[in-house]
Amino acid sequence: MDRRDFLKLLGITSSATLISSCGVDKANEKIIPYVVPPEEEIYPGKALYFSTTCTECPAQCGLQVTVKEKVYHDNRSLFPTKLEGLAGHPINDGALCARGQAGLFRLYHPQRIKRPLLKDENGNFRIATWNEAVERIQKELQTATSAGLTNVFFASRTTGSLADLIDEFCQKMKVKRTKEFEIFSHSNIREANRIVFNQPLIPAYYIDRSDFLLTLGADIFETFISPVQFATQFARVRENSHFTWFHIEPHLSLTGVQASQRLVLKAESEWVLLAYVIGKLSHSQAAKRNLPSGILQILPRFEEEHTSQLTGIATDHLQQMVDSLSRAVKPLLIAGGVSTAHSHGLEVAVLASLLQWMVGNDNNQIDFAGAENYQQVGSLLDVEELVNQLAQKSLGVFFISRANPVAQLPVNFEFSQRLHNAQFTVGLSDVMNETIRECQLVLPLSHPLESWGDAVPHYGLRNAIQPAIEPQFDSRSEGDILLQIMNSGESTQRYKDYLFERWHKNFGEEGRKDFLTHGYRHEPLPKIQWSLNTAQTISFLKEMKRDETEAMNLLWLVPSIRTYDGRGRDLSLLQEIPDPITTVTYGDWISISSQMASALKVSDRDEIQIATHGFSLQLPVKVQKLLPDKTLLIQRGAVATLPVEIDRRSGELYWVITNTSISRTGKRIALPILAGSMEEEGRGLLPEDAEHGHGHNAEHKPWYPEHEHVNYRWGMAIDLEKCIGCNACVAACYVENNIPLVGAEEHLRGREMSWLRVQPYFDKEGQIEFVPMLCQHCDNAPCETVCPVYAAYHNPEGLNVQVYNRCVGTRYCANNCPYKVRRFNWFDHHLPEPLDKMYNPDLSIRGRGIMEKCTFCIQRIRSAKDIAKDEGRLVQDGEVIPACAQTCPTKAITFGNLEDKKSKVYQLAHSERAYHALEELGTKPAVNYLRKRGNDHEA
Amino acid sequence: MKKRIAPVLIILYVVSFMGFIVVIAYFWQQHRKTPEQPINFSHQIHVTRVGLPCTHCHYSVEISPAAGIPPVETCMNCHQAVATDKPEIQKLTRYWEEQKPVPWKRVYKLPVRRYIYFSHKRHVKAGLECVNCHGHVEIMSVIKAVPKLEMGWCMSCHRQRNASIDCATCHK
Repeated sequence: MDRRDFLKLLGITSSATLISSCGVDKANEKIIPYVVPPEEEIYPGKALYFSTTCTECPAQCGLQVTVKEKVYHDNRSLFPTKLEGLAGHPINDGALCARGQAGLFRLYHPQRIKRPLLKDENGNFRIATWNEAVERIQKELQTATSAGLTNVFFASRTTGSLADLIDEFCQKMKVKRTKEFEIFSHSNIREANRIVFNQPLIPAYYIDRSDFLLTLGADIFETFISPVQFATQFARVRENSHFTWFHIEPHLSLTGVQASQRLVLKAESEWVLLAYVIGKLSHSQAAKRNLPSGILQILPRFEEEHTSQLTGIATDHLQQMVDSLSRAVKPLLIAGGVSTAHSHGLEVAVLASLLQWMVGNDNNQIDFAGAENYQQVGSLLDVEELVNQLAQKSLGVFFISRANPVAQLPVNFEFSQRLHNAQFTVGLSDVMNETIRECQLVLPLSHPLESWGDAVPHYGLRNAIQPAIEPQFDSRSEGDILLQIMNSGESTQRYKDYLFERWHKNFGEEGRKDFLTHGYRHEPLPKIQWSLNTAQTISFLKEMKRDETEAMNLLWLVPSIRTYDGRGRDLSLLQEIPDPITTVTYGDWISISSQMASALKVSDRDEIQIATHGFSLQLPVKVQKLLPDKTLLIQRGAVATLPVEIDRRSGELYWVITNTSISRTGKRIALPILAGSMEEEGRGLLPEDAEHGHGHNAEHKPWYPEHEHVNYRWGMAIDLEKCIGCNACVAACYVENNIPLVGAEEHLRGREMSWLRVQPYFDKEGQIEFVPMLCQHCDNAPCETVCPVYAAYHNPEGLNVQVYNRCVGTRYCANNCPYKVRRFNWFDHHLPEPLDKMYNPDLSIRGRGIMEKCTFCIQRIRSAKDIAKDEGRLVQDGEVIPACAQTCPTKAITFGNLEDKKSKVYQLAHSERAYHALEELGTKPAVNYLRKRGNDHEA
Repeated sequence: MKKRIAPVLIILYVVSFMGFIVVIAYFWQQHRKTPEQPINFSHQIHVTRVGLPCTHCHYSVEISPAAGIPPVETCMNCHQAVATDKPEIQKLTRYWEEQKPVPWKRVYKLPVRRYIYFSHKRHVKAGLECVNCHGHVEIMSVIKAVPKLEMGWCMSCHRQRNASIDCATCHK
């Protein structure tokens, strides 16, 4: 042997010995105590709960924050680790959508602004102190006022005490408060109600008080006004077999696929449909009151054949709809979303209001007293005026708070260029965004979970906003900032004291305490009488647009259930969770119909180019079977603002561009699409027919001995009738169980990490049904028998348990699982700091090489059993609620003890609608699915 | 001679290297059993001499899975006046003045701690005394992990007392 080989051998054996014996568990090293313990009684295993408000979208649902004790970076402290809906809250009653669940990703966002930033001469940000910032603002305000310039305060929808404080601020500091900016301003609805009823408001809609729902375009489960509220109401009323729902839309939406009947109509022809219905039902039994003759004379009349031709809806469907509507006792019409976001959108809204008035409301299923609080929200006409003022250089100090117009406004507004014409721009935000980056002074706002405040989502309801954590950075709440600017020199009142004073004054001391304990407060409202303003209506109808031509190649910019109007794009959880129907995760796409796909000879992931009027964009394609031909969909936020127009009468934004030209580019883009196929190929994930029920597998003799369950057998029932596919459960599961976010690369390899996924499938009738799929905790689990190290086993309570540190990573269990719900940690995906502050300390963070899957939230089961054992009893029904069941807006998931014959889950599991997924495999799952009633019922 | 010396040397080297590792491992175990603490805290003084009960400092042992290490404030309740001349107390006072927690080194370590759920509350409520698992801490001037907290040791007691031996009870 020569010297080189000798040394090589030495090196290899030494390093082999070292590496194989390596491994120090760093987490083991230290115990960190408190310096001063917190006032509240808190220790590991106990959580604190705070009632506050979710601010991820304007719906402002009631929120309950779970705060736990953790050691983070050698400091023991309290951190919010989970967000849930506030039980009993009038809007969401305990539920929370996926965007709300992702709220912690905003609280701990890596791009939180940490300190005030001031731009220097070169346009680079440097750190400033608060005093510096406030003094600069005061100076600039003075300079601007003396130069005759207008100072403006531009914010997104603000309600409650903060809105009043902004008014005070603007008055004192001589700042003009502009109309608030929401890209979903619902201007057409408000303008229509102003014309018809003199109420420029979005009314409160009560789906659960109606027996017939007709929605035109309104995406009530995705982003329209208050999606969780509508979903909750829908679930309540769905129990009623007399409830019928017709949804009319020109495209394909998640809301549409849930309706009893989804009718696709030609874009911009909703007004024809409504005019036809009004004409048909006028002076019939169905009309609770008749429209004045003046209106009826001007209203265009359409015959059934003509309507069918113009709208593309078959005559028998038209008849069905009119029949159902005329038989309804409490019909409800909601027109919004895509149906009011085009050139005839205002017509649609006006006619819908007229039809609602005609078929009756009685302040039951729809009322203006509890209207949504959009009074200060302007339309795009207001923004246009502002932009013109900017162009004329007549603006001084420009405050922008909690808004992102640069990313949301159509390109023709040129907002980001014009913004620099203002004398001095001040941006207030918690996370850095495109607009704030353009401002000269950036003030970091404390996140609502770090601040005090209140909100009035609709008239009659006031929500409390309470902090669940101290501000993590040198940020301040907006109220504090405004008070400091207003009251320089004098001692500045804290916003918290300002609020407490107001609450004390308005509610009394008891009322204030109650307000903070419950998290919300009802305020009494006088009823509003509806009265038809005939003159205004007639003058509108005289001028109304009556275009009957058909537009081609329509490109719709639609809201996204994941990102709302695009604002959720910076939350990584919402990129990891798939879009419900297309199941695309990371990346943007354009949805096209199957006819267009075959015409262009493209399939999923092929790139196409859309061009119109000197603008073009390229995106990969996703083919959607149910999408009507010549219609293309892009989700808002996917593309940096299209050149859409606005309705000059109301200021509503058009969501559609017509007559685009489409061509293939020939490229293929790697777009992660999680669902392999939407056809279930007869495998029994959806029940095939009513006869295919329990007992099908009875002929198979079980090869394993029956499990004995003592006291508990945990099981679940998922009601497919109620599941709307919103993916809120998926988001909740991620946050509760420390599930890693694996990223686009891994998704492209098919390695999704979500323990619970919502699978869209086409059913027999060609409609989409959603099947939430999670570990079925099978009694005869195929995964348990193949683990070589006994890491997967069945525990005496019916759970299929995965022992993490025993797992060696063979992955045979995942291979054998027929439901494909086992997830392998191919890498260590640790959430980047400071997002890892949200990790739930009650369960582990799995390292690489470990298999994981749904555990039925065993940490929640364990803590419920702990409490029950202290009290010397068994766990009662309803004490254990896994994260998915807890957050579901329609309460589709029920969990409980199948050994308890009185439990809700036992009743459901033994109902005639219950079936098991992939029943013929004989796995005997603990998860029961309840098939849709529609199979046996008439629509 | 030249032909045979190489393999002999290799074997000698490998064996001595492994022996070296074994020796290091033994001392490493000892070190881990008795890690160096930031402050030389003596349980003997505080428990036997002063007479403090375990729960005075380990406050959450009956209500939480974790026993709890006393906040610095608890120490300062006495030590703002007691034995302030001792260097260890001065170290403590410095932590208090800087409002920094004392970074104690963990002594009773579970082997793969993050995957194990151990509830002090349940064991205390079942009637176990602190000394059953932690040894006679009250006479230790330097805390030392007496029993090796290995699964076999836990299981032997669980079997004896008919406690749950279901994996999911402890593996989270």
